[in-house]
Amino acid sequence: MDTTIRRLRRELFATPLDGLVSIALIALLLAAATAFLRWAFLQAEWAVIQANSTLFAVGRYPLEQQWRLWLLTALLAAATGLSWGLLRGLPHRGRLGRPWPLNDRLAALALATLALVIPAGLGLQPAIQLRWWLLTALLLGVRWAAGRWARLLPPALRRWIPLLWPVLYLLGMVLISGGLGLIQVGPSEWGGLLLTLVQASFAILLCFPLGILLALGRRSELPLLRWGSVLYIEFIRGAPLITLLFLGQNLLGFLLPGGMAPDRVWRAAWVLTLFAAAYVAEAVRAGLAAVPAGQLEAARTLGLPFPQALIHVVLPQALRVALPATVGQFISLLQDTTLLSLIGLLELLGTARAVMANPAFLGRNAEVYLVLAVLFWCCCAALGLGSRALETRLNPYTSTNATTATPAAPAQA
Amino acid sequence: MIEARGVEKWYPNGFYALRGVDLTVHKGEVVVIMGPSGSGKSTFIRTFNALEDFQKGSIVVDGIALSDDLRQIEAIRREVGMVFQQFNLFPHLTVLENLTLAPVLVRKRARAEVERQALELLERVGIHEQARKYPGQLSGGQQQRVAIARSLCMEPRVMLFDEPTSALDPEMVQEVLEVMQELAREGMTMVVVTHELRFARRVASRVVLMADGVVVEEAPPEQFFTSPRHERSRQFLSQIG
Repeated sequence: MDTTIRRLRRELFATPLDGLVSIALIALLLAAATAFLRWAFLQAEWAVIQANSTLFAVGRYPLEQQWRLWLLTALLAAATGLSWGLLRGLPHRGRLGRPWPLNDRLAALALATLALVIPAGLGLQPAIQLRWWLLTALLLGVRWAAGRWARLLPPALRRWIPLLWPVLYLLGMVLISGGLGLIQVGPSEWGGLLLTLVQASFAILLCFPLGILLALGRRSELPLLRWGSVLYIEFIRGAPLITLLFLGQNLLGFLLPGGMAPDRVWRAAWVLTLFAAAYVAEAVRAGLAAVPAGQLEAARTLGLPFPQALIHVVLPQALRVALPATVGQFISLLQDTTLLSLIGLLELLGTARAVMANPAFLGRNAEVYLVLAVLFWCCCAALGLGSRALETRLNPYTSTNATTATPAAPAQA
Repeated sequence: MIEARGVEKWYPNGFYALRGVDLTVHKGEVVVIMGPSGSGKSTFIRTFNALEDFQKGSIVVDGIALSDDLRQIEAIRREVGMVFQQFNLFPHLTVLENLTLAPVLVRKRARAEVERQALELLERVGIHEQARKYPGQLSGGQQQRVAIARSLCMEPRVMLFDEPTSALDPEMVQEVLEVMQELAREGMTMVVVTHELRFARRVASRVVLMADGVVVEEAPPEQFFTSPRHERSRQFLSQIG
């Protein structure tokens, strides 16, 4: 304790000027925090959230079918716990797995606290509060079990674990929209966070491979492919998303083969995908440029055909470089889904605006926008955390001191 | 094994890199190519496996004529190993994976069998205990020895070395040269671009001096180093000797 105080003193009050700045900043923070808390507890009326929590979560999704979404959430929680636990528990690159590093304990604690505090604070129905607790318990329970027994998993099975996510995604789409014996629930009935996440995840999953293809096209030696890619990327990057969204509503019905964009929701999803692909392409292009030419030469010299050289040698290195920028793109894509409210879709922001237009909740804008901001922040934080975990796992140099990196090989004449 | 006839290469800006180069390499020979920088020696050996194209002349490698046909180029590349100045190991793969990648993908061999062979090769070049490490964790000399082993793992019939020791710290040059010498002793056909006089003297069957995109002199090493016939060769030797 004593050392903590001493350290604080050294870091915050080292010189008189430092001390002055520190005091001013602390005062400012305290003032802001009190003002906010006073508002949150005395003035804000959270009834607007309580009354509309289902609307915010899933829109007008039929009540008797909502168990499908709860089931999906439970599956997602389990899969998250499993991936998290395995990521930590499995030995990796010669290092033993550590089932519960300190950061993870803190994260688990924060998650559990949030799961207890937020539903209770919002005054959700007890049954729904209970469900959130159970979901959190499921996530952390699976996390614990996966971390603990990861090493018992046969190595042959480990390679297939990442496949869990695409399978879960397809299953999720079936659960959401129906089919396979489930009643159809059309996109027009989706709304709120559900619609936001469906749009964002669809676009994120598709824009990534599309972006890679565009980036490869842009570096291709075939002039038609190269110029086509350049034209596409520069056109998309030069146009505001909102314009493209309106354009897509009118045009995509003609451009895409029938059935791929049957309604406004899917048309918007395609526009988001095609839009983000152009930006991902630029991130991937930067990654490709960072791979020394000698890498491709070495792969080709070993007899690898071009596609294999690309898949096994160039792309793994390029995508690792491109990952942070790409995830940044995904995050802004998630936030860009708010623009869909402008073309009349009731995703989170659209739902919020509809709620605020209700005379019963007049003047409760601050509460609604705050919840919206927090929800978006949570989604983006999850994306960011996931990508950081992926990054450290993909990077072979961590915790080793690289003696020599392979520099770019200049072509010698 | 390699038969190059009248190879000419020029760039669109009019610069001539190769002005009609002839070279024949027989099976089991070690041909060392020397010459001042910019003489076209690297460019020349890079044409053997089509890393560089050329505009005129012909090259036949192991009975296959180089052409624009991608399948023939790939057939040649399978039989021709190459070691680069900058090693060009794959940094995202372990040493062992660097070795096994191509044999498994290209030759469609069983992974377990290739791994056994790869470990043997790593032992031969003296770094089998580093098999699970990443290239970034090895010294330059070790990396270059891994690169040699990686090429050998494809069981090539010819090995090309493009200044294999030029990017190494002086104290690591010897370990790489020893591996190459051992390889030559086992009868591997090799074409080596290098400035290492001692290696050329001791190992080469023939020394070729290139300058300004042409072969100036081609001679057995004793003759080349003691009594070169051409003024250009004498000049070059006095510069590096």
